[in-house]
Amino acid sequence: MKGDRIGSGVEAGLYVPEIATIVGARDLTWQDRVFVVELAGGRSLGHRPGQFVQLSVFGFGEAPISVCSPPEKAGSFDLCVRKLGGLTKALHGLGPGDEVGIRGPFGNGFPMKAMRGMDCLIVAGGIGLAPLRSVIDSIFLNRSEYGRLILLYGTRSPRDILFPEELEAWSADPRNEVLVTVDEASEGWGGHAGVVTTLFPRVTIDPVRTVVVALVGPPVMYRFVMAELEAMGVPEDHMFFSLERRMRCGVGKCGHCQVDGRCVCVDGPVFSAREIKTMKESV
Amino acid sequence: MTARRRAMLGEADVWALLERAGKRGPLMAPVKRGRNSFAFEWVEDPGAVALRYVRTVLPPKRAMFPEREAFLRFRRPPGAGAEAVVSEEPYVLFGVHPCDLAAINQLDWAMGRRHEVVDPNYVARRGAATIVGMECLPDEYCFCPSVGTCDTREGADLFLTPVGSGYLAEVLTGKGRELLDGRVSGREASSEEVGEAEAWSETKRRMTSCQVDAEMGELADLLDSRYESQVWEETALRCYSCGTCTIVCPTCFCYDVEDRLDLTLMSGTREREYDSCQYPDFALVAGPHNFREERSDRVRHRWFRKFVRLLREYGKPFCVGCGRCTQSCTAGIGLTSVLNAVIAEARESAA
Repeated sequence: MKGDRIGSGVEAGLYVPEIATIVGARDLTWQDRVFVVELAGGRSLGHRPGQFVQLSVFGFGEAPISVCSPPEKAGSFDLCVRKLGGLTKALHGLGPGDEVGIRGPFGNGFPMKAMRGMDCLIVAGGIGLAPLRSVIDSIFLNRSEYGRLILLYGTRSPRDILFPEELEAWSADPRNEVLVTVDEASEGWGGHAGVVTTLFPRVTIDPVRTVVVALVGPPVMYRFVMAELEAMGVPEDHMFFSLERRMRCGVGKCGHCQVDGRCVCVDGPVFSAREIKTMKESV
Repeated sequence: MTARRRAMLGEADVWALLERAGKRGPLMAPVKRGRNSFAFEWVEDPGAVALRYVRTVLPPKRAMFPEREAFLRFRRPPGAGAEAVVSEEPYVLFGVHPCDLAAINQLDWAMGRRHEVVDPNYVARRGAATIVGMECLPDEYCFCPSVGTCDTREGADLFLTPVGSGYLAEVLTGKGRELLDGRVSGREASSEEVGEAEAWSETKRRMTSCQVDAEMGELADLLDSRYESQVWEETALRCYSCGTCTIVCPTCFCYDVEDRLDLTLMSGTREREYDSCQYPDFALVAGPHNFREERSDRVRHRWFRKFVRLLREYGKPFCVGCGRCTQSCTAGIGLTSVLNAVIAEARESAA
């Protein structure tokens, strides 16, 4: 149906998902599962890091899911999904060979251009690491174009840590620093404990040559992270935050993601701290 | 014979026009439902159409943006598939008052051009419409002069103004001409009749008692300065978050989406239905976190959305002065009462 035009010349396919096939799936944690999704003929999704798709599980509905693989990955893309509601529970029951619907990619994505030649400080809270993985992997695949890569990742408990092997691989590169913290340390956890902002004093950055991208979970954490970064001297137009809203349409029509005159799905989801400060009810 | 741009129709000509419209295809028009309530409905019998009414419970937007609408048919895996469900069947929408025409123009922007994305279902239904506008007189809830919508003709293909025992018909588009052409042509209006029709605007203004105590150009800044006003809290104490105000609003366009399975469970439709920013879960996200958890947050959001945010983006308030929300409010909350209380506060604090 995509591409079909109705009488007035309008494309009829705006809300029509393309059928895609799950070609790989694995559990990352007790509640998170990553799916490798292939469009027909292995066609590229053509996304930018930080963009999202509207994922259909027919009969259960459609939900916005960030793409967690880099654009450079050919032939398929990854979606990391936490089991939370009806649709995600149904999705968790799917595996290789199963079909889903995909619309998108939507949204503006992270400012990869602004990050070129700069040090990149990435702040991730919980499942916020998933969309940021597309940024980190993209930096990795074009490593010489970027400066230092610092990842600060906070999650609830050790059993919630996403992509553990990749965290290892990222930290193995001497140009990178990867610091992980958990809110609730369980027995046997030898790492850092505390919320993600407690990691800030452990890194040294050059605030004027650093671009920060962050997706940190509950809105209050955005405010804390912003305050920490300001205290470190990072200019507000060097900080970019991806906002979470429950978009129904992804194209600026349904009204669910409106924030003070903006639509998170088309104007965002990534906004600079300068923008966020002027947007009421944003964080 | 081509119809004149301004023709005088007798009432019998209007009934003939409705008859003709009903034969041609679906016809949506106001019909009397209760003692003093009217509804825009798909009518089988053009004789049931109400030529005179003040307002309908639901606005005519339901012709192009129904309360519930299937927009996708899907087959579940294996062999999954999905295709758009878009209706382009031509229809006539009869008896639309100027405020509701203004609202349709606003929806044309919101569902059509806004963000350079076109909603196929809305635009197809809108394009399939031939709209006959109808002049009206206000009651105590109307405030179209304040929001500048009472003389709206744009959006109508044909516009009727009661004059004497008949109607002055303004032909505004080719579709309007085609609806009249050759069959119901009337006679040429005299200059007195044209003058009488033009006097409606002034009469409406004179008869309107409800008003907004500010110019539209200053409204956004006035409200913006009272984001923390107590008025939101006070209004919230009475509000039930029932969402009636948004459901009856001719300019509200937020919707929710849900899959509905056929009995076979192998196929189904994806449907959208009116949603309301007044419902507690409208701004809920994972966590769970609610960006407008308090009722006062949601109340304020409604006024800010219409008179600050969309006003700044569109250039006009997203309110056409129809009075539906005030008349329908379960708790008796008045849109202009709240607005004027905030305006008064803003002026006081600025003084």
